[in-house]
Amino acid sequence: MTEVLRVIEVTFGYGRGEVLRQLSLSVAEGQFVTLLGPSGCGKTTLLNLIAGTLTPRSGSIHLRGRDVTALPPERRNLGMVYQHYALFPHLSARRNVAFGLEVRRVPRAERDRKVEAMLDLVGLTAAERERKPGELSGGQQQRVALARALVFAPELLLLDEPLANLDRHLRDQLRQELHRLQRETRVAAILVTHDQEEALVISDLLGVMAGGRLLQVGPPAEVYHRPRTPFVARFLGEANLLPGPLLGGEPGQLVLVRPERCLLGSAAESCPWSWEGRIRTLTFLGADVLAEVAGPAELSLRVRARARDALRPGELLRVGIPADAIWYIPDADEANP
Amino acid sequence: MNRSPTPYLLATPAGVLLVGLLIGPLVLLLRVSLYEPSGGRGFFVPHTWTLTNYATVTDAYGLRLLGFTVAFAVTVATLSVALGYPLALFVRAMRSPWQQLALAGVLLPKLASLFVLLFGLQQLLGEAGPLQQFLLATGVIATPLRLVRSWWGAVVAEVVLILPYVVLVLGVQLGRIEPTWEAAARGLGASSLQVFARLTLPLSLPGLALAGQLALMWGMGALLGPLLLGGPEQTTLSVEIHRQAFEYGRWPRAAALAVLLAGSVGLVVFTFRSLFGLLLGKH
Repeated sequence: MTEVLRVIEVTFGYGRGEVLRQLSLSVAEGQFVTLLGPSGCGKTTLLNLIAGTLTPRSGSIHLRGRDVTALPPERRNLGMVYQHYALFPHLSARRNVAFGLEVRRVPRAERDRKVEAMLDLVGLTAAERERKPGELSGGQQQRVALARALVFAPELLLLDEPLANLDRHLRDQLRQELHRLQRETRVAAILVTHDQEEALVISDLLGVMAGGRLLQVGPPAEVYHRPRTPFVARFLGEANLLPGPLLGGEPGQLVLVRPERCLLGSAAESCPWSWEGRIRTLTFLGADVLAEVAGPAELSLRVRARARDALRPGELLRVGIPADAIWYIPDADEANP
Repeated sequence: MNRSPTPYLLATPAGVLLVGLLIGPLVLLLRVSLYEPSGGRGFFVPHTWTLTNYATVTDAYGLRLLGFTVAFAVTVATLSVALGYPLALFVRAMRSPWQQLALAGVLLPKLASLFVLLFGLQQLLGEAGPLQQFLLATGVIATPLRLVRSWWGAVVAEVVLILPYVVLVLGVQLGRIEPTWEAAARGLGASSLQVFARLTLPLSLPGLALAGQLALMWGMGALLGPLLLGGPEQTTLSVEIHRQAFEYGRWPRAAALAVLLAGSVGLVVFTFRSLFGLLLGKH
């Protein structure tokens, strides 16, 4: 696979503080990469460094093998969608989308054809195309912003929490459309988000960031099941982190057990590790319940069970952990220098 | 329906001011302009009605004054906006605290008395002033320029008075332009010049219209600039009104000139807005 973007040991900061430390990242043709992290972890800063609105203190950024570290944003040919869309308020939806082609002096006939095709692709009606951003709904503005960023066939699509300001239903729908659009245009994309569900569903590669570092990058399932640090384990989904020696590990290790992998009742009998426990709390989640089971020696395990199993708080029952449900990780997050 | 009296109560002080200090005097002004001029005894002849004052202010001399006033106002407004817009853009690009300091610097002259400001300007621009002495010493000019008691003296003085307001009005409008819009435009491939031409300038137009209108209105009413830094040639309608009322005691004629001025300010502003509307219509 051809490499579209390569970020090499980029460091960035304001004043004495460092926002990004020695961060490296590689994105291949057609890949959808999601950067996930708590607010303030530097993910939007990384996006701005790639876009060229910020310049790194050290390190370099390459697009298709070309060093663009010193290039201004207008010469990088990247499409960016902002959290608040940043649509131009004085231009119609159509003129907003045409902007990137107009400044590139694309001939009018070709420009019109591309703009209409892109607006067809994002599904904007003829009437909506004439409206100004202030007259469009959040979802429609989102589509215009996407069309505007894609119409000039950018090397890379940069998405800065583009779904954060939409209600849940619309967000799910637009996430699927975003995914479809990215597949159809085959553009490599980097999505920045703090929504882990979004990150798990949409990406080819998932990167977890914290404190200005990229802690782990990999396919979502790999990062979810085989996290490299306790932070990554806790940040993605629900996690039981137990002392390693308890489940066959070594001192200084933690064991990750995902709540949905734990077994209850008779199914727990055949597990290599099982014990009697009492249900302390039950949280109703719809199809599932999350049970907190207190075991011996203050050992507490969160178990995801089906709601129809009709568990009761205070109930005494056996919990078990299958051999393939455990993952050992060092009991230390990467130290901050 | 909201029948609470609170909104009316809140509007009362402003309403009283408007009626008492604007509409009242305007009615009075109109009335005075319709008295017969007195032949030296008193300011006018009471209990008379006449239109002769309007005939005397719309003669060739009066119309020449009007023409001069309009030309003066257009020059002053054009210069004020042409200087104020780059200045407002410059201030906007600054970071705080420099931005606040720069704005304070722009507004500082307004804290001084107008007379102090204009007499200072007179000294600065005069033949013995530091500016001309410097230009003479460095050989940029061979003979002193006539910067005081001249067209340019009056224009410069009036621009100095109007510029801070123009910068303020434009600053407010520029503050509504989100920096992310400009960043987005750059990201879409626009050069600095394209960002300005396609984004910043069109989005500044409402502010430019308002600033231009304000500057025009002020320029039409210009009194102190032409009076203190202009010569006898630089007689605006306001200067003439001042002279008629306070030097010759011809109140009816001064009042008729004032009515003429008020009418022409309205006409100039209307024309300006129509032209600007045509310009905006293209976008």
